Amino acid sequence: MATLAPTERVADLDPRRIASANIQLPSVRTYTEVNDDIIGTLRPTAGWLAALAITITCMLIGATAWTYQIYWGLGVAGYHPPVMWGVYIITFVFWVGIGHAGTLISAILFLFRAGFRTTIYRCAEAMTVFAVMTAGLFPILHLGRPWKFFWLVPYPNWRFLWPQFKSPLVWDVFAILTYLTVSTTFLYIGAIPDIAAMRDRETDPVRKRIYGVLSLGWRNSDREWRHFARAYLFLAAFSTPLVLSVHSVVSFDFAMANTPGWHATIFPPYFVAGAIFSGIGMVFTIIIPLRRWLNLKRYVTLNHLDAAAKLCLFTSQVVGLAYLTEFFVAWYSGSEFEQSYFWNRVFGQWWWAAWIMLTCNTILPLSLFSQKLRRNTTWLFILSIFINLGMWFERFVIIVPSLSHEFEPWRWSTYAPTYIDWAILLGSFGWFSTWFLLFIKQLPVVAIAEVKEIVPPPLRHEHEHGIDVGGHHVPFEVETPGEND
Amino acid sequence: MRGIVGVFGDLDDTVEAIEALRTKRLGDITVYTPTPRHEIEHALHAPVSSVRRFTLIGGLLGVTFGYWIPIWVSDYWPLVVGGKPIASWVPYTIIGFELMVLIGALSTVFGLFALVRIPRITMTVGYDPRFSDASFGVWVECRPDEERAVREILEEHGADEVRGAR
Repeated sequence: MATLAPTERVADLDPRRIASANIQLPSVRTYTEVNDDIIGTLRPTAGWLAALAITITCMLIGATAWTYQIYWGLGVAGYHPPVMWGVYIITFVFWVGIGHAGTLISAILFLFRAGFRTTIYRCAEAMTVFAVMTAGLFPILHLGRPWKFFWLVPYPNWRFLWPQFKSPLVWDVFAILTYLTVSTTFLYIGAIPDIAAMRDRETDPVRKRIYGVLSLGWRNSDREWRHFARAYLFLAAFSTPLVLSVHSVVSFDFAMANTPGWHATIFPPYFVAGAIFSGIGMVFTIIIPLRRWLNLKRYVTLNHLDAAAKLCLFTSQVVGLAYLTEFFVAWYSGSEFEQSYFWNRVFGQWWWAAWIMLTCNTILPLSLFSQKLRRNTTWLFILSIFINLGMWFERFVIIVPSLSHEFEPWRWSTYAPTYIDWAILLGSFGWFSTWFLLFIKQLPVVAIAEVKEIVPPPLRHEHEHGIDVGGHHVPFEVETPGEND
Repeated sequence: MRGIVGVFGDLDDTVEAIEALRTKRLGDITVYTPTPRHEIEHALHAPVSSVRRFTLIGGLLGVTFGYWIPIWVSDYWPLVVGGKPIASWVPYTIIGFELMVLIGALSTVFGLFALVRIPRITMTVGYDPRFSDASFGVWVECRPDEERAVREILEEHGADEVRGAR
């Protein structure tokens, strides 16, 4: 974070020097203000109820389609040999990927002391949990007999035969369940002090009791904070390699198969970069409307969005490099099958899907080189929709062209999702959004206790100092552009 | 349990009160703060949290269990394929890693709960709901003959409110 000398005024500076990762909240001056503003967002509104009604309807459409599929079988989902993985696996990978940005923002950026995460991490972390919960549905949706889903759980059968621990599908179960458990734990542990603040302020006895139970009797003592800070650090330290491993394991589902376009060592880093990129896109899709509707512009400032947009631009570049590397490897390998597959992907049968992917994921994000566009919330929101679309199509491009264009030309085929696929895809968005909407009215979407760390503490004498991420007093940048937009 | 609690509106007053109480070695001090502050931590000279021991032990148990299960299962149904070893450690590293993270994280949480003694059913004596809002609290658990001196120090250092609790 750039620090200005006390005599400097931001208005006098070259705009390129303005610190976009600035963590100060100059328009928030007291701890009470933080409690009032953030807990105040929990009151249900008519708009929230209407949004909830829409998402529940979407969820019911998905549930109806699934019921229909269970009755008639997986054939209604548009599968026919050799394309036996379609929208469900595409959407599974898509939702697991969405979750990654949440952990990146809450854990990795915490370890790196990136201050701009402070006001957006709670939303991102909740997004992770709900995205992984959504992803977890898809392997089950993809089962012919979904009521046997518990066979995925690694335990022995009556002949004491265990699952195959060398199978990527078993690794998936371990990775996804671990990720879901650790992410949920991380979210809950981080929220305990905030739940205690809500408990102390609540006047309704039933809600007060519920918050009392959920806060586990937390009372903000020095002893509690000391152990909490350490435990939070270790949870972040565990989550960091976990987030890298989960999408690596998901990529092994493909990379372990001897299929053109899949059998490549680039897959783990390529998947992880793509996952983080897609997740940041979804963070924008969620946080930009939220900061407007919940009146949180003083907390999630343009500077924070600007910094997150830089991260988005960086991951987009990494993903773009991975795409180019894939083409290079196909050419350099000398393998006729690989070369044929990649040509077919971009200029053949699936050109439209590949170009949607390339445009949305690598060309449009180049706009983020412009600071003006990074600070334009309308453009960021529109771009985030394109990124979501592009990343869904990335998984489409990975899965469908490979399966429909394997080694033997007589096996080459095509694939078209049916209305059941689309209904279940819509249902997955409904399921995710329903959880998220319920979350924003039950728990603070901005971490109260952590925001107080960057708000100047009450002191006997008036002061004009902000607090940096290390807890040091620094000159307060009152007029930093974007803080109050 | 009996003692005196002082409610402070300002951080610097709180820190000075803690230092004065520590200098005079009066009672056992607990500080309530709406957010963790380095100033308070330094004034209390608090030791480093031992939650890391739980993390280490949990992580080691997890990785051991994560390798042991697939190795044991492979030996239980030994199928030699292509003359390769029955237990192949490379794929089992994924199981070992995931269980290290899972059990390590859960034992960290267990350690946190054990060290701060939560879940707690009843609210602690001396706690005030203002401590999760904007006020700082200094709770001094002391003998009856020390109460007067404690009160004087808390009032002298600008406490907005000083009261006894038991």
